Amino acid sequence: MSAVAAKPTAGAAVDMTAMIIGLIILLIVIAATYFYLGSGLAFMALIGVIIGGVLIGFGVHFVPVGGAPAAMGQAPGIATGVAMLAAGAGLAGLFGGAWAAEQGVVVATITGAVGGGLMMAITCMFVNFIYVYGMGIPSASGKVAKDPITGDTQAEFKSQGTEGHGLPFVSYVGGVIGGLFGGAGGTLIYIMLLEVYQEELPRMMTALPSQVLPIAVALAGMFAIGIFLVNAVLAAYNITGTIEGPHDPKFKRFPRAIVASAVASAVCGIVAIMIVAL
Amino acid sequence: MSVKVEKIEGGTPHTTIMVAGLIASVVLIYLTYLNVLTDTQYFSFFGGLATVAALVWGSHAIKNLCSYGIGTGVPSAGMIAFGSGVIAMLFATKYGILAPVVAVILAALIGVILGYVANNILNMRIPVMIQSLVEMAIIGALVLMGYAAMMTGSFEFSSLTTGSVSFLGLSLPSYQASFLGGALIATAFMLGAIAIQHPFNACLGPNWTQDRMLMLAAECGFLSMITAAVMSMPLIPLSAALVSLFVAIVGWYYTYSKYIELSRRDAAAWLDSKPIPDVEGH
Repeated sequence: MSAVAAKPTAGAAVDMTAMIIGLIILLIVIAATYFYLGSGLAFMALIGVIIGGVLIGFGVHFVPVGGAPAAMGQAPGIATGVAMLAAGAGLAGLFGGAWAAEQGVVVATITGAVGGGLMMAITCMFVNFIYVYGMGIPSASGKVAKDPITGDTQAEFKSQGTEGHGLPFVSYVGGVIGGLFGGAGGTLIYIMLLEVYQEELPRMMTALPSQVLPIAVALAGMFAIGIFLVNAVLAAYNITGTIEGPHDPKFKRFPRAIVASAVASAVCGIVAIMIVAL
Repeated sequence: MSVKVEKIEGGTPHTTIMVAGLIASVVLIYLTYLNVLTDTQYFSFFGGLATVAALVWGSHAIKNLCSYGIGTGVPSAGMIAFGSGVIAMLFATKYGILAPVVAVILAALIGVILGYVANNILNMRIPVMIQSLVEMAIIGALVLMGYAAMMTGSFEFSSLTTGSVSFLGLSLPSYQASFLGGALIATAFMLGAIAIQHPFNACLGPNWTQDRMLMLAAECGFLSMITAAVMSMPLIPLSAALVSLFVAIVGWYYTYSKYIELSRRDAAAWLDSKPIPDVEGH
């Protein structure tokens, strides 16, 4: 195989043995937390972190990531890498959700989702502005003959020798859905960890709750960013770089990413919780 | 089976760089403990030097991984390095003097699991995947611990969370004026994450040479160290921060001029244009 033809080989195949080992690691982490810390706040926080991580890993699959080919108008999607896009959407959501942290888990998570979705909607709109009015290329998907939502045909707009270009409507919708999932997941991780730290840090540092609030916020924020980036990059590895959106055949690989995100979030989450519990 | 799309030929082998980077950064972080022994803060700059050692190793570890064409871009490797590293580093600070060792062990453990997840569950099948993610997590943890040691003079949880503010001549303890409470760690995170991924991203291609990339990594490390030295001014005495700043600027100037020299050596041709050209005849 020549160097040019060498593509990442993460095919669509599912390695069942590895999936089962992954689920066993997940169960061991959950059981260890339950055994050492009981079914209290810390255990609920771990479950929240795992759910948040899975939401992030799943959400990344919706985001139309084009990479360098998209920047040259040779593939559809937003012209940057998964890590950058997911970090942008997720962190925008996280900051949005953090403002609503006092109003409870549900309100904060929804606020985070709206923040992430809004960020992706604005990004996708301006990406299309630049594609259409700046680069002069129409939006056309290379993976499907008709747009699954609008029913518009794609082939006559697609330039020869490209995999499509621009940002078709279904990719735009996918981007917003991905932002919603990413923002909700990031905020959920932050809120769950913040609750644990607000409860445990005053005892651990022998200080008043109001005094340790900056520490609790900073710790929860840093762990949320860390877990977010780990999940986003693992999901990026799963789709090996570029994806058009929910209509792309690569989207069907998401079950692997859900197991991977759950295992990674559980391992990172237990460390984040143990910092106050041990 | 993945195929290497970039060559790794000549130069120092990766194992040598890995061992040297690991030992150098752990020893340099421990040298900041001289602060406690001598009851000053003047040895904080060793933390910054530890980050440079770890970043040089890190850029070569990224080269080792990304030469297989992972398809997600080089910056994602820097992001996962610090995402997993920050978790290990923050937990390890609880263990006092053992913190750097605990950080290395815990980061390796997290890295093994993430590597297994990426390589087997996600079916990447890249031969160096697990080893690389272990290295990445250790590097992320050590760089953040280096910045923590440099900005606060210590790598223990209590010093990272408690600072002091002077009010009417009195020195009062404050949780807000600290490495964690003031969220300086977020800036340290990005200073490191950008410095680790930039050298290979900038130097990759058929014209890649090892010494040029490693020199750029050291240059990025010192550049981040300048910023970290400025950020350390509220947390450690000004004279100690100025020592760090001086070391960082000298290191940056040396590595920058060396890097320009190496770039000229590797370039096919170069024209010494000036930033503002002399305009004649107007």
